[in-house]
Amino acid sequence: MRAMYLANYFIAGCIASSLLGWIASLHPMAMRAIAFLATATFILWGLCWLLDFSVSSLLKISVQNLQALLMAGLAVSIIGVGVFLCT
Amino acid sequence: MYLKMFVLSGSALILWLAPLTALDKRIGWHKAIQGLSLGAAIACAVSAGNIARKLADENEIEEIKTRAITADVVDEIATSAYVSQSQRQQEAEIILASPMEIEAKREALEALCSENFQPETTANTSDKDARDLELWWKVEAAQIEGKTQTWIIENIFKMKGRKFAEGKAQLAELLRRFGDA
Repeated sequence: MRAMYLANYFIAGCIASSLLGWIASLHPMAMRAIAFLATATFILWGLCWLLDFSVSSLLKISVQNLQALLMAGLAVSIIGVGVFLCT
Repeated sequence: MYLKMFVLSGSALILWLAPLTALDKRIGWHKAIQGLSLGAAIACAVSAGNIARKLADENEIEEIKTRAITADVVDEIATSAYVSQSQRQQEAEIILASPMEIEAKREALEALCSENFQPETTANTSDKDARDLELWWKVEAAQIEGKTQTWIIENIFKMKGRKFAEGKAQLAELLRRFGDA
């Protein structure tokens, strides 16, 4: 059941990134805003990798869990945007 | 609950993929439909995730309860064994301290020892009693939670289908033995 709930949140993340892609496709300004948001998120993601020990103690989770979250986040964005772009 | 969760998960996947792949891009309103279905898909996926998390937590609590009941039974058996052992030790000490003949003391101690190591039937009976008591505690916990007889027979006794009648009889027996206490 735990796997099921993780899978559901994973799918929710994928759909959310598809939704962001959809918003970006509506207007060039929206595209710029989403691109800015994506860049900022990517920089934050990289910083989280570099400062994993500090961030994990800040969030009160283990380093392995943080790294798993970061990997899942990357997978979610790639799958979500990939599905949107390929269809 | 399970059905709802699976239906919501399936709907989320369909609402995510179907409008993106199936909708003709020449139609004017395809963008609006895509947005709507993506929003609905997120709602479905999050609801399904919440239900699954709730079910996972409930399962965990059930497992903890079962472990606690088993630990209680084991503890009770260990305590009764310890009490019985110390009682016999006291009896033996009383026999040794009494002003009897050595032969009489020996006979009394032998009698005590033979009582201590009764044939296996006693052990088997007490094992069965312990199992019944453990089952009864689970049944009682389920009754307090408001579970039905059918649920108890199927989930606690693990007797479904043809074995259901046997389970019903077992439940009646347990209720007769422990229910009034």
